[in-house]
Amino acid sequence: MQLTIITDLNKCVGCKSCQVSCKEHNTSGAFGPVPDDTPYQDPDGMWWNRILTMESGEYPNTSVLYLPKACMHCYDAPCVPVCPTGASFKREDNGVVLVDYDSCIGCQLCMWACPYGVREFDEEAGVVKKCTLCIDRIEDTTLPEHERQPACVQSCPTHARTFGDLDDPNSEVARLVAERQGFGLLPELGARPSVHYLPRRPAPSLLDAETLETAMEERY
Amino acid sequence: MRPATPLLVLTIGQGLAGGITVCLAALMWMGRLAPGEARILVLIALGTAAVGGMGSFFHMHNLKAARYVMRRLKTSWLSREALTTALFGGLLAVLAIWTVLDAAGISSAGYRIVLAITASAGFVAMWVTAMLYATIPAVLSWHTPATVLNFMLVGITSGVGLTAGWVSGAPDLWIGLAIWIPLTAVVKGLHWGHFRRAHGQIRAETGTGLPFSPYRLQDTGTSKPPYRTQTQVWPLIHPALLRIVQLWIVFWLFVVPLGGVLLWQTAGWSGGRWFLPVGALLGVIAERWLFFADATHSSRVFFVDEPRRAPQVPLTGGASRTGNPT
Ligand code: SF4
Ligand code: SF4
Ligand code: SF4
Repeated sequence: MQLTIITDLNKCVGCKSCQVSCKEHNTSGAFGPVPDDTPYQDPDGMWWNRILTMESGEYPNTSVLYLPKACMHCYDAPCVPVCPTGASFKREDNGVVLVDYDSCIGCQLCMWACPYGVREFDEEAGVVKKCTLCIDRIEDTTLPEHERQPACVQSCPTHARTFGDLDDPNSEVARLVAERQGFGLLPELGARPSVHYLPRRPAPSLLDAETLETAMEERY
Repeated sequence: MRPATPLLVLTIGQGLAGGITVCLAALMWMGRLAPGEARILVLIALGTAAVGGMGSFFHMHNLKAARYVMRRLKTSWLSREALTTALFGGLLAVLAIWTVLDAAGISSAGYRIVLAITASAGFVAMWVTAMLYATIPAVLSWHTPATVLNFMLVGITSGVGLTAGWVSGAPDLWIGLAIWIPLTAVVKGLHWGHFRRAHGQIRAETGTGLPFSPYRLQDTGTSKPPYRTQTQVWPLIHPALLRIVQLWIVFWLFVVPLGGVLLWQTAGWSGGRWFLPVGALLGVIAERWLFFADATHSSRVFFVDEPRRAPQVPLTGGASRTGNPT
């Protein structure tokens, strides 16, 4: 089993709801981005899920791309074997890569080994932290079934994010990756990320005049 | 990559101690080392190793977990580094105690054997540390055999440089230095070439995996220099500063020691040998800082922004670039 998240880059509107809900669920508090004692500063600090904004193409054919970036829960996670204490590990039963804070010495070697820059150093605790795929939610049997998913997936207003088992060929995530040419980032570095993205279509589908007319009438 | 002070102290201290010990062993086996000189040098090596050890101590941010550090000897070069560096430090301490307490024993076969084992342990410790850096594919600048060569050569050159100040009657040492210093300079040049190529690989469009280039990064996801929580990246060094630091390294690590060797051996001025430790120390500190500060990590593709270009829309009617009325 390999649990993962698939993001449809056509649907992501860069609202950062997933970034904020991850922060709220996992890393708020004293290490928050806008702590109470200095509230008038730029948001800073630890974020396990960061949404990049990129402008692409040449004027006048430009567009904006949003790229949510968190731990890719790699099949061959390079952050795991480099860890001297065994604090970084990949779960055999569901493929989630986790950090045991009690045995992490904060050497940050795993941050260097991760090709994606998604591990973050917690200066307060002296340990490295990262996306856990909300392991506490997905394994919490007291939660209703539909809530047993990562906070970012649950909060996405456009349903751009889908959570599931990539190794199960019948799962929704496996179907999306297979049918929509899902791809992983920086494949040349050999980490085999399980997190995939669905590529943007080059242009929006064209509407004929009649459909457009009807849509406008319905709306206005 | 953020050049963390404990890492600079650790790698410089370990390299100096390893270099001094290797040099000591060579001189001892050639019969060129006086007991008084051996005593000073072993103590200097122990001192630099201890300073390096302190560096590794302060690089751990959660000391409660330090007892687990050798758990992953099978896969982690850092576990192996902890083991080999501790072994080297222990052997060096035994050697230092022997040197101080039993001056007469220095010429014995037993002492020579212990010194040879200590020097081998120092060599292995330097090699393991170098492998730790060279085997991380994500740090594009370091992922090359030149990193291993660079660590070994710079460590030994700086160690030999430090030794040369205290060894007055070692006629063979300067021959070694005259070969070793230019060799180190060539490897350093190759290494810097690799750093520049790694730097050139990083463009925003390679990070997206999508074909609609060019990409211009507008928001790095609420991260900003100096990237407090993401120490694998570091604000780019200004090209002028890079040039100055490289010139500093060439001058102190290579030109000054070679000049000292020439003054010492050809002009017969024995004071020239003090150029070597001074040059080695000032050069190696800058060399190690640049090794970290200029290293390119693959995740930089998500932090880069290509240089701003002039707007391609004609600006008229008093509109500024930002669209605000002027
Ligand atoms: S994305 Fe980075 S932190 Fe996550 S599993 Fe892969 S290498 Fe490890
Ligand atoms: S920072 Fe912690 S998790 Fe990362 S390599 Fe070091 S000990 Fe392992
Ligand atoms: S919540 Fe959904 S739409 Fe908003 S940034 Fe995240 S993935 Fe994109």
